[in-house]
Amino acid sequence: MSAHITGTHPEAGVGDVSDAVFISVEDLFEITQQVWESFLNPTGDPTAGQLHPPSSTTRADEVSAAVAVTGAWRGHIVVSCSMAAAREISALLLEVPLPEVSESDVADALGELANIIGGNVKGLLPGPCALSLPYLVVGNSENVRWPAATVESRLLADWHDEPIVVTVLNGTRDEDERKITA
Amino acid sequence: MKILIADDSRVMRQIVTRTLRQAGFGGNDLVEAADGQEAYDTIKSEKPDLVLSDWNMPHMTGVEVLRAIRRDGIETPFGFITSEGTEQMREIAASAGALFLIVKPFTADHFRDALEPILG
Repeated sequence: MSAHITGTHPEAGVGDVSDAVFISVEDLFEITQQVWESFLNPTGDPTAGQLHPPSSTTRADEVSAAVAVTGAWRGHIVVSCSMAAAREISALLLEVPLPEVSESDVADALGELANIIGGNVKGLLPGPCALSLPYLVVGNSENVRWPAATVESRLLADWHDEPIVVTVLNGTRDEDERKITA
Repeated sequence: MKILIADDSRVMRQIVTRTLRQAGFGGNDLVEAADGQEAYDTIKSEKPDLVLSDWNMPHMTGVEVLRAIRRDGIETPFGFITSEGTEQMREIAASAGALFLIVKPFTADHFRDALEPILG
């Protein structure tokens, strides 16, 4: 794993599906870096998509795109960034000038990144599982709640001096806890 | 040669277009479809030489499009570009008649490997 990233994941034992941590920060970095190198490199130079250590004080959660996972493992994979980063990502992916990027372009671009990262994360999860269509959430994290889910792992990185956050939220664990306490 | 790019995401259609260009296939005639039904209709009307299709699309999935054209006797080379690549999906794709399944994220090299045998 590159030393260029930081992240967190809670301690958890390896037992049944609800206890196990299937997605590490290292996994998230590898998947996310591959997506950025492959697609956010308009000149074909993979270094253009390089993720760097988080240093910006800009809020990373102005806009998020998420996909839900249902099945043997349940939860969400969320890609968050500043609106400036989301607009730059959209412009690069659509090959249009920045001023021409619309709100629907941002939803499409960030949603597609969440879909791709979610698809790769799903490959590491116990199956069978199904992936939802991506959905967009605009607003900072203090106003956005993900019901019945706890953070399994979170990647923090910078790209073009803007923060990028990828979070895996586990809803399986919480469901089991509620069953026990019910 | 004419290539149909079928994906409900405009962003992904653009990424596929760019990657085709980077892989050296930019000189081909590109047509697009924004859902499965449009892909099916476009295959019938435009008669592309190759179809690059998403797996999940509104109205008809990529596999449904592939099965429908094969039922119609259309043998156009067909490949999937998807965000997942499980063994089960690969088996379904192959049994329906797909030539390849490219998993996102992909690079120009992946496109060259899959498309050169078809496009030359």
